[in-house]
Amino acid sequence: MNEPRQRHVSPPLVISGRPAGERVSSRVLEEQIQAALAAGHRRLQIEAYGQHGIGGRLWRADAEGVSLRITGHPGQRVGAMGFPATRIEVFGPASDDVGWLNAGAEITVHGHAGNGVANGMAQGWIYVGGNIGARGMTMTKHNPRFDPPELWVLGSAGDYFGEFMAGGVAVICGHAAQAPDNVLGYRPLVGMVGGRVFFRGPHAGFSQTDARLAPIGDSDWEWLSVRLTAFLKKISRTELLKPLSERRDWQLLVARRPNEKAGRAVRAVAAFHREVWDAELGRGGLIGDLSPVDRGVIPLIVTGDLRRFIPVWENQKYAAPCEASCPTGIPVQRRWQLIREGRVEEAVDLALAYTPFPAAVCGYLCPNLCMASCTRAGAAMAPVDTTQIGQASIRAKLPELPPVSGKRIAVIGGGPAGLSVAWQLRLRGHEAVVYERAGRLGGKFTRVIPDSRIPREVIETELGRVKEIVPHVYLQQPLGPEETARLREDFDYLVLATGAQRPRTLPVPGIERAVSALDFLEAAKAGTAACGRRVVIIGAGNVGCDVATEAHRLGAESITLIDVQTPASFGKERRAAEAVGATFRWPVTTAAITATGVRLADGEEIPADTVIVSIGEAPDLSFLPEGIAVERGFVTVNAEYRTSDPKVFAIGDLVKPGLLTEAIGAGRRVAQLICDESDGRTPAPFRRQMIEKRRVTLEYFDPRIVAFGDLAQCGSQCLSCGACRDCGVCVAVCPQGAIRRHDLSGTYEYVVDARLCIGCGFCAGACPCGVWNLEENFPLE
Amino acid sequence: MQPERPITPSTLSVKDLRWQIQWDKEACTLCGKCTAVCPVNAIELGVFRKRLLEPPVGFQEPPATVYRSYYGIRQKTDPAYACVGCAMCNLVCPNNAIAPARADEADKLRFQLDRGGQPRRRGGRRNAPGVLLDRIKFVRISMLTDPALDAGRHEFELRTLLGRVLPPEENLKHLRAQGWVPPVREIYPLIIGGMSFGALSPTMWEGLQMGVAYLNEELGMPVRMCTGEGGCPPRLLRSRFLKYVILQIASGYFGWDEILHALPEMKEDPCAIEIKYGQGAKPGDGGLLMWYKVNRLIAAIRGVPPGVNLPSPPTHQTKYSIEESVAKMIQSMSMAWGFRVPVYPKISGTSTALAVLNNLTRNPYAAGLAIDGEDGGTGAAYNVSMNHMGHPIASNIRDGYLTLVKLGMQNQLPLFAGGGIGKSGNLAANAAALIMLGASGVQTGKYMMQAAAGCLGSETDRCNICNIGLCPKGITAQDPRLYRRLNVDDVAQRVVDVFLSFDTELKKIVAPLGRSTSLPIGMSDALGVDDYHTAERLGIKYVV
Repeated sequence: MNEPRQRHVSPPLVISGRPAGERVSSRVLEEQIQAALAAGHRRLQIEAYGQHGIGGRLWRADAEGVSLRITGHPGQRVGAMGFPATRIEVFGPASDDVGWLNAGAEITVHGHAGNGVANGMAQGWIYVGGNIGARGMTMTKHNPRFDPPELWVLGSAGDYFGEFMAGGVAVICGHAAQAPDNVLGYRPLVGMVGGRVFFRGPHAGFSQTDARLAPIGDSDWEWLSVRLTAFLKKISRTELLKPLSERRDWQLLVARRPNEKAGRAVRAVAAFHREVWDAELGRGGLIGDLSPVDRGVIPLIVTGDLRRFIPVWENQKYAAPCEASCPTGIPVQRRWQLIREGRVEEAVDLALAYTPFPAAVCGYLCPNLCMASCTRAGAAMAPVDTTQIGQASIRAKLPELPPVSGKRIAVIGGGPAGLSVAWQLRLRGHEAVVYERAGRLGGKFTRVIPDSRIPREVIETELGRVKEIVPHVYLQQPLGPEETARLREDFDYLVLATGAQRPRTLPVPGIERAVSALDFLEAAKAGTAACGRRVVIIGAGNVGCDVATEAHRLGAESITLIDVQTPASFGKERRAAEAVGATFRWPVTTAAITATGVRLADGEEIPADTVIVSIGEAPDLSFLPEGIAVERGFVTVNAEYRTSDPKVFAIGDLVKPGLLTEAIGAGRRVAQLICDESDGRTPAPFRRQMIEKRRVTLEYFDPRIVAFGDLAQCGSQCLSCGACRDCGVCVAVCPQGAIRRHDLSGTYEYVVDARLCIGCGFCAGACPCGVWNLEENFPLE
Repeated sequence: MQPERPITPSTLSVKDLRWQIQWDKEACTLCGKCTAVCPVNAIELGVFRKRLLEPPVGFQEPPATVYRSYYGIRQKTDPAYACVGCAMCNLVCPNNAIAPARADEADKLRFQLDRGGQPRRRGGRRNAPGVLLDRIKFVRISMLTDPALDAGRHEFELRTLLGRVLPPEENLKHLRAQGWVPPVREIYPLIIGGMSFGALSPTMWEGLQMGVAYLNEELGMPVRMCTGEGGCPPRLLRSRFLKYVILQIASGYFGWDEILHALPEMKEDPCAIEIKYGQGAKPGDGGLLMWYKVNRLIAAIRGVPPGVNLPSPPTHQTKYSIEESVAKMIQSMSMAWGFRVPVYPKISGTSTALAVLNNLTRNPYAAGLAIDGEDGGTGAAYNVSMNHMGHPIASNIRDGYLTLVKLGMQNQLPLFAGGGIGKSGNLAANAAALIMLGASGVQTGKYMMQAAAGCLGSETDRCNICNIGLCPKGITAQDPRLYRRLNVDDVAQRVVDVFLSFDTELKKIVAPLGRSTSLPIGMSDALGVDDYHTAERLGIKYVV
């Protein structure tokens, strides 16, 4: 501490703040003090009268220093911006902001000091012989180039003491404190970041965020003792040294360092959960009593039961579109699969379990709905060629027959529908007896389908197989209602499959000049038909097309098919008719059939030597016994082909005009129903649900294949919709290595390890056959 | 979409979708995490065909064409599986190979979302970013005119009163005549608004409640949370934490039998009872908890069978006039707790709000009025209600407050504002604006979901699938496989963080106004806005 040297022993220069009863302004008093300093005065006595800022900024004193004795009533900010080597002594109380921004002055106040003592002080000393007001020692600094500032207070501090204190030392002695029960005032040290506060006496808390109590070490105590003596001397209270020198009475507050602030003790939320929350609510917290479900946190990607979706290997759960769209229900896809596996004979033989006519129908006569619905066809790729396996079925071997059960079923009609039901019944062990009005079996096959459509030997071969399986056939058995009723009584079931042979006709003049399509085709097949040069066919459906083709074969040169609407013909029949040069005309209405041709409603006449009417056929219902309901000329059946008489079924064109495959399928369906019913089983569903085509992946296949050379190629290009082709793509694609192939004796399965699977669905996305499916996992709650 | 198939009116391309998956073939490692995490199954592994043509050079070799297949991530275009933009795929992708991007023009999906004749329903808020409250500034910055306060270090009493504050002479009159004065609670002015157990997952709800308990018991902040209409878990009803809870009763009356059964065993009275008449997100429409979310637990708490849709009627049954609605309900609910608990109605923002308010001023049992503005959030509502119905909160609150001023009752009947507070992240600023317009406090729900649980929803239609129980963050899901993604402790911690930072921000706003010991309720001279008509309408300063 620099004691200003006393060069002059003469009395101090007295400057009055109120000479001659007139107060001088703070500005003038300041000028007088600075002038005195400039004049070499170093000891001044100021008789203050409320002037502001007395004693600050006295740098002219240089190192020799200056001493100010202030009497009277100094105004605010005594010693503000004080300089080193300035010594100020206030004999009495001081107003606010003593030592504001003090940069080195020593300021002693013998009385109390007001608010804001030492505010912003960075160097120097302030000694107060009484109490101080609010916000003392606030914003104080410690510049490392200088000693820290000090504030000594004999009594107590006011409220908000030490706010934002960044450095320096404050000592609150607590002697004769204004507030004896709290020497630090209300809410001290908020925002304190540096410095130290020694205090003596009780306190009512301080900012725990910013400050902490620290032990007073020996060096601290030594410093405090030495400086306390000096302080008491300054304020002339040395008698207090002894009572103030009890070390145990003193405490020390220091600022928390930033890292200490961060680590202040608050209860962790996890601890709160355990110690407070669950303690009050019970184990499991809020809903521990309502739900046993584990609510522990889980990651976003999970395995096992926690997966939202799980893959399921749905091998053969669904039917391929070919099978699903085949009215007969032939599992075409399964046949290609057998071929892929090299089991060609099995593939060929398989068909006979579904139809007695796989070669004739699948290979030649069917419009092949299987191919139309082929998943490949839906993507503008060539459908797998069913006709190839169909035609190969001519060499299919008969299955072994089970022994007969004793159940007997009468079938009236030996056409495709009747033979189908009889065939299926026998394959299932029941005896079927067929009654056919004509002289031979086969119905449409043998009577009206032109030879150009199918080689005769194919039909003969397949009918030959039928005769082996269904030996009980009564030909030339025209039946009346009584005979039919008797059959119903004599047999366990009766199946009606007499077809539709009564040609529909037109109510026009000259109709007697025309011939019906069925008669024409039958005669053509028998080799007895005659045909003119110019032929007009009324009705341009597929039968009309057959007629056109046959007429051409028989020498017709000009063939015209007319229709009242857009012709319904399609497929092979239509193409064949067009190939022989037949022309189609529509919409035209026939007005009359004349000797020279067909006259239309508009008066035009199409010249014709032969006119053939091909507008469909109606069933002959004269044989029906009582109690069989009919509607609009057809026998009424329910979805299971059962007539209004539960013992009697009706199938084929007798029920509704349709395709061969529909008649054959109806036969199979009825046979299955009869078997289920006889055995007391719940009727099995006729077919599996079709797989959604979008599940099947076409991108593994070359879209440029437009024709198939042989069975093997057909097999390889079949998408195997819904049936695993054992390609192993899923095993390769699974990012978790969760899928394995298990060999079962002779067969196999793919299984998922739930402990590895994350439910990404890659297997389902990659599966070429649509076998893998991603399903929602079971509900967890 | 396969080109060979016929299109339908709802056939969309990826380009037509609102959110389009950007997938980087080079970066993708085909790990399956994106498809596993996608909440709506919008993406799947795709098999792609690639044709490689090798043209002949010099015709030494014949030209060749080779087909190859490769795998990648494919976005579905079926509207039922449209990407919702949540970006969980991006969150789990180890290589940053996938992310949804917003369509560069208005999507075509929006026209196909009503298949089956069912209009779009969703969760979230009105699809309109931004809120007027963001434009209101605090223009009265006191440096020399008022005591300048330091938000960081000075002491503040940021509390508000919930309850009927009668003038002392009237209180004395009541006390003398009936031995009763209206109950009043001193609470924190930011209230967690009604989100039901059911709308929220058990982990989310418990996290919020626990965070609130922590704020009260560890930090001394009297924060309150409203249950929403979905009942209240029996344990909470019988715990001391009930005093932090505002029980809501709405038109569906879900769970109220359990609340009544708990009455004899309650250790504490609840903070208050909120009677919900309307919700800002779907004014004039009732609650709607869809069956996906009604599992056994939710059903048990609500007292209904599981797996059924739970619509609440738009209005309370058996009440046929405003007087009857208000008086009857307030009376009944007050009576349940011996008139010790404040009871107040909550309505959606509406041009008829003043009629309700006028009615309440004449009812000494009415503890306040909460108004929920058009920007409020919801777990499930019709899109049309959310986007096009409702009233902005600012003018509703302002009109209400000025009406109370006219009646000399502005200190008697507290108004609480809700709906879109913190919509753009400015929770404290929006709250302070509403308080200075006249609200005694604010309610916020959606902000809590976003800040405390990482909700991905947005006002530009991201995610917003709260209604179907597939919340990818587990906030609004009732499936343990989803809600277990959320940790109760983490939610609670975030609630604490939100309130502490809100508290600091609110102080930063009110300190320059020289306010530290009372909220600046109705201190509209501190507010300015850069739109003349808004300023005129709200009676605040027009500043440019």
